[in-house]
Amino acid sequence: MRVLAAADVGRMILKGGSARVPEPLPAKFAPGDRVLARNVNPVGHTRLPRYVRGRRGVVDRDHGVFVFPDTHAAGLGTKPQHVYSVRFAARELWGPDASPRDAIYVDLWDDYLDPDGDR
Amino acid sequence: MNGVHDMGGMHGFGPVVAEADEPVFHAEWERRAFALTLAAGFLGEWNIDMSRFAREQMPPAESLGASYYEHWLWGLEHLLVARGLLTREELEARVAVLRRAQTR
Amino acid sequence: MSGGHGHDHDDEYTAPLGETQLRVKALESLLTEKGLVDPQALAALIDLYETRVGPRNGARVVARAWVDPAYRKRLLDNASAAIAEFGFTGRQGEDMVVLENTPRVHNMVVCTLCSCYPWPVLGLPPVWYKSPPYRSRAVLDPRGVLKEFGVALADDVEVRVWDSTAEVRYLVLPERPPGTEGLHEDELAALVTRDSMIGVGRPKAPERRPR
Repeated sequence: MRVLAAADVGRMILKGGSARVPEPLPAKFAPGDRVLARNVNPVGHTRLPRYVRGRRGVVDRDHGVFVFPDTHAAGLGTKPQHVYSVRFAARELWGPDASPRDAIYVDLWDDYLDPDGDR
Repeated sequence: MNGVHDMGGMHGFGPVVAEADEPVFHAEWERRAFALTLAAGFLGEWNIDMSRFAREQMPPAESLGASYYEHWLWGLEHLLVARGLLTREELEARVAVLRRAQTR
Repeated sequence: MSGGHGHDHDDEYTAPLGETQLRVKALESLLTEKGLVDPQALAALIDLYETRVGPRNGARVVARAWVDPAYRKRLLDNASAAIAEFGFTGRQGEDMVVLENTPRVHNMVVCTLCSCYPWPVLGLPPVWYKSPPYRSRAVLDPRGVLKEFGVALADDVEVRVWDSTAEVRYLVLPERPPGTEGLHEDELAALVTRDSMIGVGRPKAPERRPR
């Protein structure tokens, strides 16, 4: 184990530690693709919020390849995959009382998404 | 996990109250809890996803009544004990010693 | 959330320590004795985030984008690299995206699952950002939340809420306030508030100066 020394604090913080993985893995989705957030209820760690599960959205942008938190938190490896910002219409999430114009963008990994084949 | 940390869309927490000219830390223990968490993270015994998952395992009723750095503290204790860097007994014993020291 | 601890800062040297304070003290003494943390490193970490990293960093980025179209383009195309030009890099800002507010689109940022926040440009998050009222309602009722911050938006403005569920961190590039045409970059930076870079506020209006 390495103990953080005072002299290294500035350098280590400025260096940071990106969760980005420099591997050219293929993306399952592209901007503009319609996707369905999976309806799953894992008992471990996940970054798939309940409020988007089972909801339909559109891929806004591909952020690139990142460590997958569900396996990483469990000590089961980094399982690198693409992360996308997915746009969900406010009405898709909250129903007809929500603004017709507004949207929620949620960053989601490949393993949280399926193609939305119904539309 | 479907925990209370997953708050998007919940009702009942009241209005957002912003503090004017808010300081970075509100008490000395917050400074220490923050720095201890970062410093211990550099030991490399766990990753950030494990840290988040540790905080999520705080019992829900306790979690909702706790402040941000109390979540951090709970998570840090949990990880240190889980990795065998500290035992629950030695931590509680040290808390007891400090409590006695100030009531003397 | 932290209201119950409000007495801490006034009485901490005289009043008996509360349970949380005792636990932190116990933990720090044990970790120090075991050689797992260096007390000097703790002091350096606290100093860094209390005095050196904060929203003034982000304000400099925004002001530069307002005066320099080429920089603005770099910032919107590759925020991490453009922000690194100022030396604002590292922890909790490794992968940045900048969202530009326009007369038609208003962006705001939240982390519903924890409290993810772009530390290198904004410092550590304020309590309200980390608290249940904001985290629960920013996605459900963004216009209501914005109203509580004094930001009223016309119905034809599109609100985009960005939930920081992954390791990408977001910074809002607010609209440059009217009446600031003659101001220098430093004067502009002074108008950029933390809240305007989270998307729950607007930059300050310039002070009227005698001609």
